[in-house]
Amino acid sequence: MTQPVVSLEHARKSFGGNEVLKDLSLTVNRGDVLAVIGPSGGGKSTLLRCLTLLETLDDGDLSYGGLRVAESMEGRARYGDKATIAQAKTRFGLVFQSFNLFPHYTTLKNVADPLVAVQKIPKAAAEERARELLAKMGLAGKEAMVPCELSGGQQQRVAIARALAMNPDVLFFDEPTSALDPELTREVLRVIRELAEERMTMVIVTHEMAFARDVADRIIFMDGGRVVEQGAAAELINNPQEERTRTFLANYQQGE
Amino acid sequence: MEFATMMGILGDGFVLTAEIFVVTLVGSLPLGVLVALARMSRFKPLALVARLYISILRGTPLMLQLMAIMYGPYYLLGLQMGTDWKFYSCAIGFILNYAAYFGEIYRSGIQSIPRGQYEAANVLGYTRAQTFMKIVLPQVIKRILPAMGNEIITLVKDTSLAFVLGIMEMFTAAKALAAREVSMVPYAIAALIYWVFCLIIEMVLNRVEKRLAYYHD
Repeated sequence: MTQPVVSLEHARKSFGGNEVLKDLSLTVNRGDVLAVIGPSGGGKSTLLRCLTLLETLDDGDLSYGGLRVAESMEGRARYGDKATIAQAKTRFGLVFQSFNLFPHYTTLKNVADPLVAVQKIPKAAAEERARELLAKMGLAGKEAMVPCELSGGQQQRVAIARALAMNPDVLFFDEPTSALDPELTREVLRVIRELAEERMTMVIVTHEMAFARDVADRIIFMDGGRVVEQGAAAELINNPQEERTRTFLANYQQGE
Repeated sequence: MEFATMMGILGDGFVLTAEIFVVTLVGSLPLGVLVALARMSRFKPLALVARLYISILRGTPLMLQLMAIMYGPYYLLGLQMGTDWKFYSCAIGFILNYAAYFGEIYRSGIQSIPRGQYEAANVLGYTRAQTFMKIVLPQVIKRILPAMGNEIITLVKDTSLAFVLGIMEMFTAAKALAAREVSMVPYAIAALIYWVFCLIIEMVLNRVEKRLAYYHD
């Protein structure tokens, strides 16, 4: 059996006295497109922040492929050394809700600079790769522009190109369209859909239920720091088993 | 006295003024970085020392600080300092004082950079040093430029405080000339030279600002 791309087991995380992740486990296999839905404050963002090492787990095991990043020992998560963490960061990419492009860099440099600075790829090769990815994101001709000259949807597509350039095993999205109006949302969702068709491994935290149903293979419904329910995408949206999921989806559909 | 002689004396004064100005910037611009880093340190005692340093240097007159450094070694330790000490104590005083102000400006700039910038760099795998040098610092420079401009222009005029140490910078020279000639003219000329000096600095700052105007955030 092949190793999962991401494996998280018995994750716990508290802020102050507030337990945000309660014994949460998650496995992502190669080619999986996983959507994470659920109410705000349910722990979705914290989950992504722990997976991307922006936050440290209080307890739990975390592995990327064969690379063990954190290991539960005596009730605490013990993280690997600096080299392990640096290596882990090459295995995933993260697309933020607020894009977080570097405003002083052109779109081309936003995508190419991490390749040069982190992966030590020669500048010319990095820029070639950046150009290809920007073109793929429908941004050919925008290489010399700076982020403030682009629409939110274009900025988010640059951010996706930047994450893809690093050639990650898995791409995480933290509500990638929550800062965008419906029209711009569509163009961003379209490129994510294309990536899904190419079997890019992705974990997408989203409030776009229709999109989650159409694009994801599997959906996880999270609330109160736990996975309340998970299953095949259409199945979970159309025929939720848990009362909590039903309430959430019913409220959601009313709101639409 | 001939006009040319007067201009010569004021010119010599201006050379000293410019020297104090340059030496102060060369010393305090980098020292300010250390002050800012210490002030933001997670090691509490260091942050506390930096806060105290900033508080004292901003909270007491620069003139008093210059006197304290000039005469401190003699009154406190009984040391006889050489004739060069006059200029050194002036340089030390200005550098320490301006580093406190610059440190606070740097800190405000660094802390104004959104957390998302650090997080994006972190996830991409930039080291802490790379994140600071490539991502944070260029944005900080753009943000603090107006405040730095203010402080640098203030410095031009603050150099005149060196008169309390008996340094013959331009203001001291103008004062001596005005007394001897019983005339306002030396003051007027000195004022004009200060102003032109500041004007040049303003123009340089404007150019830098324009060059960094290609983006906003």
